[in-house]
Amino acid sequence: MALQAASGLVSLMAGQPVSGAIKDSTVAQISAAIFYKTNVLAKLTANKTFQSSFQNVLFKQIDEDFGQYIDAKARTSPKSLHHVYEWGKAGNRSARLFKLNKISQQGLMFQINYELLDSRSFVPSETSKRSHVFIKKASVMEEGKSVVIKPRFSERLSFNIDGNTIFMPKGESVTVKKPGGVATKNSFLAAYKYFFTGQLVNMSIKRSGFQRLFNSSISKALEVPVQIKTVRYSFSPNSIASEAEAALLGAFSGVSNG
Amino acid sequence: MVNYKLDAMFELRKYLWNKLKDTDIFDENNYYADNLKETLIPIIPVQQAPEMNQFLSGKKHIVYDKIGLSYEDNWLICCEQILFTIYSTEVSDIVEIRNFMTDEFRRMDDSARDINKWSNLSDKFKFHSLFIADISPIKPSEEIQGFLASDVILEVKYSRITDNNGRFA
Repeated sequence: MALQAASGLVSLMAGQPVSGAIKDSTVAQISAAIFYKTNVLAKLTANKTFQSSFQNVLFKQIDEDFGQYIDAKARTSPKSLHHVYEWGKAGNRSARLFKLNKISQQGLMFQINYELLDSRSFVPSETSKRSHVFIKKASVMEEGKSVVIKPRFSERLSFNIDGNTIFMPKGESVTVKKPGGVATKNSFLAAYKYFFTGQLVNMSIKRSGFQRLFNSSISKALEVPVQIKTVRYSFSPNSIASEAEAALLGAFSGVSNG
Repeated sequence: MVNYKLDAMFELRKYLWNKLKDTDIFDENNYYADNLKETLIPIIPVQQAPEMNQFLSGKKHIVYDKIGLSYEDNWLICCEQILFTIYSTEVSDIVEIRNFMTDEFRRMDDSARDINKWSNLSDKFKFHSLFIADISPIKPSEEIQGFLASDVILEVKYSRITDNNGRFA
């Protein structure tokens, strides 16, 4: 709509020298300057560099803040969130078993989802000599699924309960109904929802400083180019439109490397 | 000699405890531990929660932890988020503490001014602004059986007093 309105200026930009109150190239120059600025603003939201900078700056901050929020929650509520960390490291940033993903990017909009990662550390055991990795620890405990343990390398299972060694019948399996405890079921999802539906995500967006970066970049792009400042009687609309495109590209290219 | 053990979060905890006592929300006599022969402050860092639980059995208390810390473009100003989890067996206790914290800490510059005025504050800190970033609903705690819990997140901006070279004084 802005571009359509600005197209009315094209005839004034290609005019002859006018006489009267406004002399020389003034009308053409003012028209060209307005036309340029309108083009910058109109192309802004469709500009890929701007879109990518916008998304990257926001996502980076949200990712950081969400991670720190879950880390702190896991330290204060380890029973609920220990499962999204490697064994014995609840709240430790480097032991996280979750990550946010930026998906479905369209224009300035983007969506975020989360992914629970595979565990790579051995299940701690004081009695067993065998090392075992519970790969899907995070997702199984989050979903509150039960786990069936079967003997693989020996003919029967044995385990300790309160200092007593229990031997299972040959080939029998054991079902652990809540491998992460009762508190883990859907607790990460609840914390995720809480973060993204309340104040916390809004604060993260504010904290991203995008507004500041945007303001400094857009004011750079809106500076009228030298060609328009030069006294002339005729300006090419196509060349001004390209100039606007190039200015946007230059202004936002350094904002974020994502 | 610079004291690197000082931390704005500890100063805030001291201030909060002082205010909670002044307003009779907490009675420190209820937190005398016979085994330790001293009165505990029931606002404990999360790292000490496991060993302190035995002394706080059934009693309302607060567990705190730092969520994150970052410096602004002006590197003298630090921005921290602190998570307070309030535990009690009574809903009304949590509501009372939560309302007090809201009343005390939501006023940004004015909340900071009140802390700065407090005579027991370390002279190495100057608070600029505090506000309530988030308050969660009260729900049964998964961590401590029989307790209810609610989170209050504070966002705090402050500076550590520096020397002429910008180092901690």
